[in-house]
Amino acid sequence: MRVEYINPFIEAVYELFSTMLASKATRGEVGVVDASGSEGLYDIMGLIGLSGYARGMVALSFPAETAVAIVNTLLGTDSSTMDDTVSDAIAEVVNIVAGAAKAKFRAEGRPPIDLSLPTVVRGSSFSVNYPSHSIWIEVPFNSNLGGFTMRVTFESDEEEKE
Amino acid sequence: MKALVVDDSAVMRRVLIGSLASADITEVDQAADGVEAVKAVEGTEYGLILMDWNMPNMLGIDAVKAIRAAGHKVPIIMVTTEAEKSRVIDALKAGANNYIIKPFEPATIVEKIQDVLAKAGG
Repeated sequence: MRVEYINPFIEAVYELFSTMLASKATRGEVGVVDASGSEGLYDIMGLIGLSGYARGMVALSFPAETAVAIVNTLLGTDSSTMDDTVSDAIAEVVNIVAGAAKAKFRAEGRPPIDLSLPTVVRGSSFSVNYPSHSIWIEVPFNSNLGGFTMRVTFESDEEEKE
Repeated sequence: MKALVVDDSAVMRRVLIGSLASADITEVDQAADGVEAVKAVEGTEYGLILMDWNMPNMLGIDAVKAIRAAGHKVPIIMVTTEAEKSRVIDALKAGANNYIIKPFEPATIVEKIQDVLAKAGG
């Protein structure tokens, strides 16, 4: 995966926060991780599979406090519990980020990417089974609503031709 | 006037219901996919529909086509992550009246709702 491919996803996170969440997200240092386990991930994670021109996955992982703050901002509520509403919100958040990133790739003249429906994983003990040669790019974020992490991996037709 | 909000995300339906309330529309039904939306329109006369695109069972665009094929003229706004120009054109050709791309600012969606209703004579 080329590191510059992460940029549309980062921009998508910025847009989501500045529009629907009326907040500002800032990114930390972009890194490469072995994402086979749950190490370094938080309490709740939303994942979406990418297929078509680019095949892989985008994942957003949130501490409970950040996830709850996102829901409260979206809905104008004052809840403090990690319930199904939080899972549903995280699914929609990753859906919006992946959708916006997909549109940015398309706007750059690349062929279409298809998105799977989102999946949400809660808890700290799980593993993500993905081909062992996959390189995951990790981006830590901070925001008015708390910190969180994005991980993205994909292979594109463009890279295969190289 | 009664509105229908169609989205597979319960949270997004609540967000959209909040947007409708900001446009003074408080009577709202909900549907979680295209099949439920088509069924709801058969039984109720709505003044506005907010329709997601990517949903299980039936896509939003197919629901728009089915609603138009049945002769319903209710204004429909697509509210979706599908941001490509070709998708917007497909939705308008299918019979959607306007198009909002997620993520959106709350004020933007309220303006579009008011704009669509004004054009529909509501």
